Amino acid sequence: MSTALRSPIAITFFVWRAIFLREALDRLFRERAAWFWLLIEPVLHIAFLAILWTVIRLRTMGGIDVVVWLSVGLLSFFFFRRTAMQTMYGVDCSRPLFVYRQVKPIDPTVVRAALEGFLMVLVSAIVLVGLALLGHMVWRPDDPLMIFVATFGLWLFGLGFGLITSVLIMLVQELEHIFKIVMLPLYLISGVIWPLASIPPKYRELLLINPVAHGLEAVRLGFSHAYHAVPELSLPYLYGAAVVFIFVGLLLHRAYALRLVMQ
Amino acid sequence: MICVGDVYKRYQTPHGVGRWVLCGVSFTIPPRLSVGLIGANGEGKSTLLRIIGGVDEPNKGRVKRLCRVSWPMGSGGLEPTLTGRQNAKFVCRIHGHENDLADRLSFIQDFAEIGNAFDAPVNTYSSGMRSRLQFAMSLAFNFDVYISDEVTSAGDARFRRKTANAFKTIAKQSSVIMVSHAEGTLKDFCEAGIWLHQGKAYWFDQIDDALKAYKESIAA
Repeated sequence: MSTALRSPIAITFFVWRAIFLREALDRLFRERAAWFWLLIEPVLHIAFLAILWTVIRLRTMGGIDVVVWLSVGLLSFFFFRRTAMQTMYGVDCSRPLFVYRQVKPIDPTVVRAALEGFLMVLVSAIVLVGLALLGHMVWRPDDPLMIFVATFGLWLFGLGFGLITSVLIMLVQELEHIFKIVMLPLYLISGVIWPLASIPPKYRELLLINPVAHGLEAVRLGFSHAYHAVPELSLPYLYGAAVVFIFVGLLLHRAYALRLVMQ
Repeated sequence: MICVGDVYKRYQTPHGVGRWVLCGVSFTIPPRLSVGLIGANGEGKSTLLRIIGGVDEPNKGRVKRLCRVSWPMGSGGLEPTLTGRQNAKFVCRIHGHENDLADRLSFIQDFAEIGNAFDAPVNTYSSGMRSRLQFAMSLAFNFDVYISDEVTSAGDARFRRKTANAFKTIAKQSSVIMVSHAEGTLKDFCEAGIWLHQGKAYWFDQIDDALKAYKESIAA
């Protein structure tokens, strides 16, 4: 029954797998039909905003169907926001796990981001297929690779944001409220519900400091080349920001590794 | 063998840095020797167990674990919203027992003897059931040293006897480091004793001597 000594990499792999399964269980079945609410939140957002735009008789946005424009933008934004939020609480919600010394604070944060990305792929697929059946979505996007690259960039940025905030909220608890509040203006200025291209260039430059806006525009452009994306669109900027955030996040995790497990 | 070398520990509190809970603690626990930690409340027994278990870090000094040490069985380590089975699965997985998961689970279920509650959320458990589950979980793995923080005393008499017997059968390879306020439990399980008093640790080869020193200190 004796086990050979496992290498640190192997232990990390076992831990990630165990946490992934445990978090998935928690995320999908914690409350009654928890999985249903994961799906219904973006659907309600899309439905509400689509009705709003349709009432003012807007059929297209930047050259593409307004429902496509909305749903693609919303799903991409959720890709970032859900990953960021779940990752942010990764350390705080996993404190019982640190009784097992194999589990380090970095493990649940990374695994949560992976799980959220995985779930968002499923949610997005279901919503997009549903819309396609309703005749509002292109079955074949013009540039699937660009959609993938942009979405992955948004996920990476969410992971970086979450890595940083997961440490900060443990050090200064009040910051949790700030980070939650920040998400609302971010929703508004990322061009989820109105087009950034309609803003005068002088102010648009300011809004495009926000990497999420670049990701959203890129995903829309990937769905249809006919879309008039903002001219300043830059995926390298999104990836650059993501890499910097992840690096700072890892640095914080390393620097405060002991503070996070101490009680 | 576990070497604890000159360990200092204090906690950060909202009101600044706390007092030194452990203040230069050193001892060596030889292989296969079961040790009981004795001391009044707040003398750092649980802190020391957590440091030995590698869950917490000392501010100064170091701990060398030259053997396989269990996690500190005690208050934490169970996710309340998940069932006993799901918690057990998680612990099996992080210890790398994906392949023989079913065997370990059936062992844990049999040993814990909590019946259908094994598939109920842990927050519905009584404290006795909780400690049964924790104990069964740790016995499912081959550790050289088992660390127990008050877990053994929470079970009823019959379960205590069962765990004591289980330990006796594996005593050839394993030992236990435990905190308990029940004198009987300590005498059942441990040979040597460590008395924690005012941040210092005093080693006694006989657990009875450690208990005597502790009693004299509180009588005085």
